[in-house]
Amino acid sequence: MEAASAAAAHADHHHGPPEANRSSRIEAATLGILLFIISEVMIFGAFFTAYFFIRVVNHHPWPAHGTTLPEAVAGINTCVLVSSSLTVHWALTSIKNGNKAGLRAGILSTFLLGLTFLFVQLNEYVHIGFSPRDSAQGTVFYSLTGLHGAHVFIGLCILLVVCIRAFRGHYTAEEHRGVEIPGIYWHFVDAMWIVVYLTVYVL
Amino acid sequence: MLNPLRSEAEAFRALIYVVVTAAVIIAIVLIVRALT
Repeated sequence: MEAASAAAAHADHHHGPPEANRSSRIEAATLGILLFIISEVMIFGAFFTAYFFIRVVNHHPWPAHGTTLPEAVAGINTCVLVSSSLTVHWALTSIKNGNKAGLRAGILSTFLLGLTFLFVQLNEYVHIGFSPRDSAQGTVFYSLTGLHGAHVFIGLCILLVVCIRAFRGHYTAEEHRGVEIPGIYWHFVDAMWIVVYLTVYVL
Repeated sequence: MLNPLRSEAEAFRALIYVVVTAAVIIAIVLIVRALT
């Protein structure tokens, strides 16, 4: 009787569906970025499949006859993006130690370096001399680099939010999840660019 | 075992491994191209 009345009392307080089950081993935010990045790897995998198909299976020359790829500019751009990973790591390390000035400088530098990368990439599209419809190689080139560029753009939007929050003093040494999760995403974008750079420009 | 998705620090370490691997591959490609 008592159990039944206790259950009824509990039911009075709880409305709506039962609470979602949560793992005690991994936090929801980390699990979210993990699942997201796994899905991202699959998307990039599909584009790399197209690249290797035309190059390895169909034996098309890379790049297409009469076209060149600006390896040197892309190499410098790679350095710019790798530097932005260093600065985002600097930002996180700073806020973990309670250094808010370091966080602001690190996040702002990351945003500006990412913006530089995207600007150089778009400038490369303007001067590269071929379009996506000129050849299969052109299609794959713009698809792979464009897909990555879209990720950089999304990353920049996220970094802008982090930047604004950092300057408003939202992060502390104890609470900095909002810097750490975008940081993981940014490192992923950076690592993916290195794979894109290796396959498209170097190999 | 290294899991780049566990924390930002591990993601950064994984990135360094990717950079080093890429540098080695680029060096090998350049050497092979210079010799052939």
